[in-house]
Amino acid sequence: MMQRLTGPERQLAMTLCVIVALVGLLMAAAGHGDPFGTHGGIVLIAACAAALFVLRAMGEPEPTEDRSRSYYDDPTKVGLIIALFWAVAGMGMGVWVAAQLAWPELRFDAAWSSFGRIRPVHTSGVIFGFGGNALIATSFHVMQRTSRARLAGHVSPWFVLLGFNLFCVIAATGYLMGVTQSKEYAEPEWYADIWLVIVWVAYFILYIRTLARRNEPHIYVANWYYLAFILVVAILHIVNNLAVPASLAGAKSYSAFAGVQDAMTQWWYGHNAVAFFLTAGFLGMLYYFLPKRAGRPIYSYRLSILSFWGIVFFYIWAGSHHLHYTALPHWVQTLGMTFSVMLLVPSWASAGNALMTLNGAWHKVRDDATLRFMMVAAVFYGLSTFEGSFMAIRAVNSLSHYTDWTIGHVHAGAMGWVALITFGSIYSVVPLLWKREGMYSWKLVEWHFWLALSGTVIYVFAMWNSGVVQGLMWRTYTDSGTLAYSFTDTLVAMHPYYVARAFGGLLFLTGAILAAINVYLTIRHAPAADPAADPASAPPRDRPTSSEAAEPAVPAAE
Amino acid sequence: MSVKERDPLTGHQTTGHEWNGITELNTRVPRAVWAFIIVTHVWAVIYWVLMPAWPGINDYTRGLLGIDQKDRVERQVVAADAARGVWTDRIAALDLEQIRDESMLMAHVDRTAPALFGDNCAACHGARAEGGPGYPSLTDGAWIWGGADDTILETLRVGVNSPHPETRFAQMLAFGRDGILSRDEVRILADYVQSLAGLDSGAGPARLDAGAALFSDNCTSCHGEDGTGTPELGAPNLTDDAWIYGSSDAALFKTIHDGRQGWMPAWEDRLTLAQRKMLALYITGLADAEGGPDGD
Amino acid sequence: MFRKILSPFARLFDLQARTHYRTERHSMALTFGIILAAGVGGFVEIAPLFTIDDTVEAAPDMRVYTPLEQAGRDIYVREGCYACHSQMIRTLQDEVDRYGPYSLAVESKYDHPMLWGSKRTGPDLARLGQKYSDDWHLRHLIDPRAVVPESVMPQYAFLLDKTLDTESLPARLAALRAVGVPYTDAQIDNAAQDARGQARPFTEGADGVIDRYGDDTNIRVFSAQQDRVSEMDALIAYLQILGGLTDAAERTQPAGAQDARAAVAGPAPQPTGTE
Ligand code: HEC
Ligand code: HEC
Ligand code: HEC
Ligand code: HEM
Ligand code: HEM
Ligand SMILES: [Ca+2]
Ligand SMILES: [Ca+2]
Ligand SMILES: [Cu+2]
Repeated sequence: MMQRLTGPERQLAMTLCVIVALVGLLMAAAGHGDPFGTHGGIVLIAACAAALFVLRAMGEPEPTEDRSRSYYDDPTKVGLIIALFWAVAGMGMGVWVAAQLAWPELRFDAAWSSFGRIRPVHTSGVIFGFGGNALIATSFHVMQRTSRARLAGHVSPWFVLLGFNLFCVIAATGYLMGVTQSKEYAEPEWYADIWLVIVWVAYFILYIRTLARRNEPHIYVANWYYLAFILVVAILHIVNNLAVPASLAGAKSYSAFAGVQDAMTQWWYGHNAVAFFLTAGFLGMLYYFLPKRAGRPIYSYRLSILSFWGIVFFYIWAGSHHLHYTALPHWVQTLGMTFSVMLLVPSWASAGNALMTLNGAWHKVRDDATLRFMMVAAVFYGLSTFEGSFMAIRAVNSLSHYTDWTIGHVHAGAMGWVALITFGSIYSVVPLLWKREGMYSWKLVEWHFWLALSGTVIYVFAMWNSGVVQGLMWRTYTDSGTLAYSFTDTLVAMHPYYVARAFGGLLFLTGAILAAINVYLTIRHAPAADPAADPASAPPRDRPTSSEAAEPAVPAAE
Repeated sequence: MSVKERDPLTGHQTTGHEWNGITELNTRVPRAVWAFIIVTHVWAVIYWVLMPAWPGINDYTRGLLGIDQKDRVERQVVAADAARGVWTDRIAALDLEQIRDESMLMAHVDRTAPALFGDNCAACHGARAEGGPGYPSLTDGAWIWGGADDTILETLRVGVNSPHPETRFAQMLAFGRDGILSRDEVRILADYVQSLAGLDSGAGPARLDAGAALFSDNCTSCHGEDGTGTPELGAPNLTDDAWIYGSSDAALFKTIHDGRQGWMPAWEDRLTLAQRKMLALYITGLADAEGGPDGD
Repeated sequence: MFRKILSPFARLFDLQARTHYRTERHSMALTFGIILAAGVGGFVEIAPLFTIDDTVEAAPDMRVYTPLEQAGRDIYVREGCYACHSQMIRTLQDEVDRYGPYSLAVESKYDHPMLWGSKRTGPDLARLGQKYSDDWHLRHLIDPRAVVPESVMPQYAFLLDKTLDTESLPARLAALRAVGVPYTDAQIDNAAQDARGQARPFTEGADGVIDRYGDDTNIRVFSAQQDRVSEMDALIAYLQILGGLTDAAERTQPAGAQDARAAVAGPAPQPTGTE
């Protein structure tokens, strides 16, 4: 893959590898005896491995192709494969985490395998590993196609992709060693946080430079969302992770904020990690792959505008719904609750926009599991945002908070929306990238769809039940006006639901494994697409061109 | 691609742009969305006016209703407390024996105590107060401190060896570790204690005699001449089959060699008098049901 | 009618749509638009928490964590206990009834980061301090199901074998001071020996702890091991101080009113309405 780079680019890549390797070496030496040192070692090994790849290409002849005449898809391909790896790893961890709650002895007699340490491996594994890689990979694909321009750089996409994965590896290995800041979804320690800032700035520059090269006068909706994802995640990440390390040669740091301010900052971050990582980014995916697959125009450009700005503006206010009835002042809770409810409008507007786009293509939804993935994802997106706004109401939250209801909501969003839209996008983009006729087996896609759907439904129903039962038991009073159940009583009541959840998760994981196998088989064994033989099936003009559309006047509503 | 096509299916116009084959219709925002916006926003504004909502630099709007979650829960707690007061005040005022005679009050106890016990006591004494290694059973009727109601209530109030300033204090000395007795003597005593309880210690008469001598030299000051214990000191009866720490050779050796100092938390600051009385009623009720020696 | 009500909104939106239509041609305009739209909310909600005085209650008796307790807190974070345990009693009647007075902001004033939690797989721990004995915590952490058969909590027996790293404590307290916890120079300099002293009452180190952190500090062998200060000692020391840094909550809340009433009124009290 590195053969596609020119000589100076190879040198640049080499330089970057050497710098990172040196940093790793320094960390390993300084942090001897601390997980910080171990992480130094991991950085060093990762940098050397990357350097080896570059080195192998060093002697090769330089590329002769006219690069401006094609898209640069190598980073996308690698990114998708890595995403699938994380899907299996992260969801595998999820199944293990779920199993531990049903059968707590299901672990090794070692510190690293305890619930508190592997749970963040699951959450970061699926959100950042699976979701993040899928977002980066698809954003590279989508921004080139919708800009009709090649990526603005050949080294920086690799830096972004591999640098991000280095962050993920540092995060996951860190949790197992007990390295964590305890802030949910921002657990990695200060040095990983700093590294992510560097990677993210590179990502933003790459994105904005590619957009600047575009041959379309207008920026397509999908890119608004990807851009919001990149920008806002950067702001959130930097503020919430402000911390002072106890030692520059050690992993441990202390958050710059304390108590109530820390709680608000954390959930301003936490909620908007949901909004801009798990929602905005994936809406970008939806807005490209769904109309593409369905072959239909977006239902309403105006609705897109309304929902985009609505989502960007309203989401930010909603974080305090994670802190209802806590020591956070009441006024902030009011704002969080009201904005969460107003947020439902743009959320449903975007879900509705996607579903209405399918008008005229419902027969395809019936026949094509790939499109069905995306359709069901949009439905779950609508469901989970409705549920979220409902749970944000203080009275409802008084019941749902701290219970499995939250976990049910999370997975309606995470499995039903995030994972399904990602799988749908992967199935539609893989044949294109590897120039295949289609996926190796459409039957496997069909199987995956039903496994994923039933897994999600079982998981979510189990958690709704257990959450509501638990919440009600906690607050049930006897006729004497005293509490009816002890905490342990609720534990006993949870058990059957925990078993059901683990089973649902296992179904979902099985589906993800099928996806990985199918993609592998497609790359290896699916018949190549032959544009000459069947021009109809070949993607039209999958290369940079200048737009043929003249600039229309400002469109007014009809 | 021509500018502003009309979509044959919906009859709507496109915006005239196309991105790699994707076009967009310029459909108007559906009415329902507007209605939805109006409803949610009007509701939000009303809510802001009524409740604490918007911050300034040093203060925030309190809302017309003047509600704050802290006042509200405090009122609820006080009101619930007052509603329960109808019977909890009587429980707090009456002796346990008097309460046992009032079936109305006992009905409240029966409803309340199990969960209260589950949240506070079961961790140590077990879900059914059956005890476990290190934590006495509360149902076997073999009371370390005596089974009188007031005694039990006082234990609940101040605890045993707890950080409470008036705590009951009880200590089984570390005879072996502190060098008062040799290891061998400790082993002999362990056998002797087993024999006291009628267990088969496997020791011959000579060894038991030696044990008896050691016992009367060292142990009777607390556990009494006959080993039946001294409730005032919290020194348990060693002749029954109720064991806190166990009657195996190993357990007894550890008890006598290293000593014991069970820590029963004080509940005065955590549970009200009425709650402590309900718990006392609950456990004495369980003990009666078990029909232990004192249980009657 | 409906159309009439809508028309100003419709016009406003039309303006927005036109503005957007121009914006979406310039990536930097879009960038700044997003930053602006996404910036407001966070600022309005977070900044006043630093400036409005009654956000955090006053508690003159509030003390800082001792080095041993802070070390225990770090272990609590490291093991991910917060994934299952909250430390935030909400202003709800059932929570006050079950766990005690609702949590105040001031109680986590020195918590960097806060550990309020978002899930209660296990019970709330905000007022756990002194609820159970050290011995119970020890047994429970070694094997939760040995004492609570229904428990799904993991075992943490290995903490007993790990000697506590006390050498890094001065640097840790110094970092905490940098973010606002009022540790004195003496507390920072003596952090390592204070940590050991708190768990070894029979050594002179214990006296320094009293001097620097007050008479009420728990000074005990927390984990029943005399020969060394283990991570178990630190974690139990932390668990035993939970809710105990200040008694602001107990002081200011009417919970327990009933007991006071009963004590004052003596036999046959009149059921009064409020405190
Ligand atoms: C941390 C563990 C623990 C908890 C929690 C606990 N206890 Fe105890 N309890 C003990 C120990 C240990 C003893 C034995 C003390 C001794 O050595 O005398 C004891 C003794 C007692 C006794 C005296 C028994 C006798 O034979 O005299 C009573 C009564 C009692 N507990 C009731 C309760 C009740 C009711 C609760 C709940 C409110 C409770 N305990 C909670 C540990 C505990
Ligand atoms: C200073 C008073 C004192 C003396 C002297 C004393 N004990 Fe004890 N013993 C106690 C107390 C108090 C307990 C209960 C400790 C607890 O509950 O934690 C106890 C508990 C025991 C137990 C555990 C009972 C059980 O149920 O598990 C045994 C066995 C025992 N003592 C044996 C002896 C022997 C043998 C001696 C003499 C060598 C002795 N004791 C001397 C006070 C004393
Ligand atoms: C898998 C979830 C889980 C994790 C992780 C976990 N716990 Fe627990 N914890 C529980 C459950 C469930 C209970 C209730 C049953 C019991 O008492 O064991 C509990 C109970 C407790 C209690 C008793 C609370 C009470 O009031 O009865 C303490 C103390 C405790 N845990 C401390 C910890 C500490 C410290 C850690 C981390 C080192 C931890 N827990 C990690 C699930 C967990
Ligand atoms: C194989 C399927 C999955 C299983 C079995 C699974 C299982 C679990 C379990 C057991 C928990 C912990 C719940 C608790 O603490 O009580 C959890 C948490 C979580 N999972 Fe999953 N999960 C799966 C898939 C996913 C996916 C695909 C995503 C995201 C894309 C995801 C995101 C999360 C998040 C964000 C949390 C934290 C929730 C919170 O703290 O409220 N999970 N998961
Ligand atoms: C309108 C949109 C949404 C709103 C208003 C909303 C609201 C909420 C609320 C009220 C909670 C519970 C907080 C608590 O009690 O602790 C929550 C938790 C959560 N939601 Fe949503 N939600 C929305 C959409 C989504 C979507 C689409 C996802 C996608 C995955 C998602 C992921 C999560 C996660 C991961 C949590 C758990 C946070 C934690 O760790 O506690 N939400 N959300
Ligand atoms: Ca972090
Ligand atoms: Ca959570
Ligand atoms: Cu949220």
